[in-house]
Amino acid sequence: MKRVVLALLLPALLMPALLLPTPHATASEAPFERSEQRSPCTDYDPLRRAFFGDTHVHTALSFDAWGQGTMAGPGDAYRFARGEALGIQPYSSDGLPSRSIQPRRPLDFAIVTDHSDLLGETRICDDPSQEGHDSLVCRVVRRFPKLGYILVNGHVYSSELPSRYSFCGSGGAVCLRAALGPWQEIQQAAEAHYDRSSACGFTTFVGYEWTGMPGGRNIHRNVIFRNATAQRFPTTYIETPTQEGLWQALDQECLQAGNGCDVLAIPHNSNVSAGSMFTVSSADGEPISAEDAAMRARLETLVEVTQHKGDSECRPGAEDELCAYETLPYPRMADMAHVNSEPGQLPPLMYTREVLAEGLLQQARLGINPFKFGLIGSTDTHLAAPGLVAEDSFIGHAAGTVDSRLQVPAFPDRAEFNPGGLAVLWAEENSRDALFAAMRRREVYGTSGPRMTVRMFAGWDYPDDLCSGDDFVEKGYAGGVPMGGDLPAARGPGAPKLALWALRDPAGKQSPSHPLERIQIVKGYLDNGRSVEKVYDVAGEPADPDALDLSTCTTRARGSDQLCTVWSDPDFDPDAPAFYYARVLEVPSCRWNSYLCNRAGVDCDDPGSVPGELATCCDTGIARSIRERAWTSPVWYTPAGQR
Amino acid sequence: MVTRTIRWLLFCVFVLTVPLPMLGPWEVLAPTARYLLLAVVTAAVMAVEGAAGPVPLIFTLFAGHALLYLLLSWLAARLCTRLVNRLPAHARTGVVVAACAALLLIALMFDLYITPFGGLPHSNLLGLLS
Repeated sequence: MKRVVLALLLPALLMPALLLPTPHATASEAPFERSEQRSPCTDYDPLRRAFFGDTHVHTALSFDAWGQGTMAGPGDAYRFARGEALGIQPYSSDGLPSRSIQPRRPLDFAIVTDHSDLLGETRICDDPSQEGHDSLVCRVVRRFPKLGYILVNGHVYSSELPSRYSFCGSGGAVCLRAALGPWQEIQQAAEAHYDRSSACGFTTFVGYEWTGMPGGRNIHRNVIFRNATAQRFPTTYIETPTQEGLWQALDQECLQAGNGCDVLAIPHNSNVSAGSMFTVSSADGEPISAEDAAMRARLETLVEVTQHKGDSECRPGAEDELCAYETLPYPRMADMAHVNSEPGQLPPLMYTREVLAEGLLQQARLGINPFKFGLIGSTDTHLAAPGLVAEDSFIGHAAGTVDSRLQVPAFPDRAEFNPGGLAVLWAEENSRDALFAAMRRREVYGTSGPRMTVRMFAGWDYPDDLCSGDDFVEKGYAGGVPMGGDLPAARGPGAPKLALWALRDPAGKQSPSHPLERIQIVKGYLDNGRSVEKVYDVAGEPADPDALDLSTCTTRARGSDQLCTVWSDPDFDPDAPAFYYARVLEVPSCRWNSYLCNRAGVDCDDPGSVPGELATCCDTGIARSIRERAWTSPVWYTPAGQR
Repeated sequence: MVTRTIRWLLFCVFVLTVPLPMLGPWEVLAPTARYLLLAVVTAAVMAVEGAAGPVPLIFTLFAGHALLYLLLSWLAARLCTRLVNRLPAHARTGVVVAACAALLLIALMFDLYITPFGGLPHSNLLGLLS
């Protein structure tokens, strides 16, 4: 009864405090510094607001997107993110799109991150006026798109020794020169769509994706620049084929350039890295040095924990059964076509949670944690459609898989893929400097698509009734650190307290959302030099798994509009380094394939009636429901003697 | 029509029209000519750009399929020729021409082929050649 009363009262008490600015309070850290000329934002909140966006977007400038028939460029992607309609493939012979998509809600920010590799080659093969357009490789790519994709992918992206094609000329000069055009287009589009007025309606960043995949092991990074000052030319895997090389290039060509350039690199898809993304030894087999760790920690403050090509939070088959969520059944990107590995065969350090734990071990060894990541989600769309995350209308993301170049496929994507997620940044205003500062201090979280709002603070003295007041956020900042921070030193005995608050996606009739099921705390810590993880349910309760009707995608589960709690770690050991992050779950809902198959009227009880192209609808190995979720960045606890 | 002509005619039509699977995990149904074409294209890329990455493997895959299916097409053509030779001499030409025309017509009218290495996932012979 008490819980029911609290659930009814909480929204009324807390929602205003969560959504409205509170000008008299101050955040725990100094506000960001301005690095660019722009109008101050009218809508400025010292207690920070949640800004929703997509940090991983490909357009027709990316080789694989272009090969899939995507014709929309960076400007189109930004217009889509702001709410405008976008025409997509297949295109008619006179260049008219056969389909149109439009986001249900605009984003606050977006970042076009086209592949830096093959930027010039794509332009050359596409533009008849370019030198090299009639080369054999370009002809093959145009005439046999899928074969061309496989050949080029193997020659460049997934090669251990990537190289330029002969039509690129000596030293790749022709292709490097051709790449300058699209690189400028990317920067110009980011500038054109960045709202520098005091309205601060939409923010863009200059970015690209460094696309290393040696031996098919994904080590991709999205590179994001703080302001309009970027590298003269984006770093490529072809010229710089190691992640250490990428960091050095970013350090030398941006951070040390003395021109106001600032940059972050965001690793993604460790779930298909076969353990190569978060290495703890250098190329010669020696353990990484403190210098290497410092470089990584400086440049890589975030990790993309979820996206179109699967979830990278935690190992499928782990004790935590909720890790069985959008997992891919293969350890390398290159295995996509044919391997079905058992979870136990997956190499170590493929999932964020175990990498966070490894960070604690490295911190104990080196005195610095190279894996201190904030968590975000994004789409990795190859349709130039940032934020296209709705399960009920998923049309695929055209990421080099199901071909939608000339025909609309009945089953729009690989069954194990998904619409991807969103990045949420807690910032004072919607400007580049404010959002970049949020990414750097890791006050961010990721969602699997829905726009739930999640706050998390960690401290030592939060009152147990923090949720019942209207000053949750002020007290949260005043008494501790937000997500992404380091717990301050304890002022006495006792366990740390986490103040958590989650608000259901407000959505609307056009984009229905699901109620919240529960909040969990995931804790990782060291016990005698061994990493251990625990998961605690701290608010809400598991929904009845049978409440979801898969045939109609309606649910009887009631869930909550809001959950709030102050949780104290019952197993706290003051001598054990630890991290804590929150996982917020919605009640079970239909996965995209269920919506699709229901719409198509597929009846799996009558196999003869199921069209061949929709046979996957009846594959019992493919999940039909999911729990949408959000993951906060962790907070870290370091014992006094190890600080 | 002499036996050799019949055999060659049937062989050519089989190579051009009969959909054959790609061995392995790929969902492909293509005529032998398609495998041959892909092998030639891949060989050309290998000759111009070198044998780096997966190109030799892909070439081997296509060339292997092309050789295997050429052999099978030849054996099928021989077998069919023997069967045709049992017919009265005046009927042979008509039967062979009709069979070849029927195969070509079916290949042109229906999307028999699954060709993920091209532009269209499903196509007929015209789509395959266009």
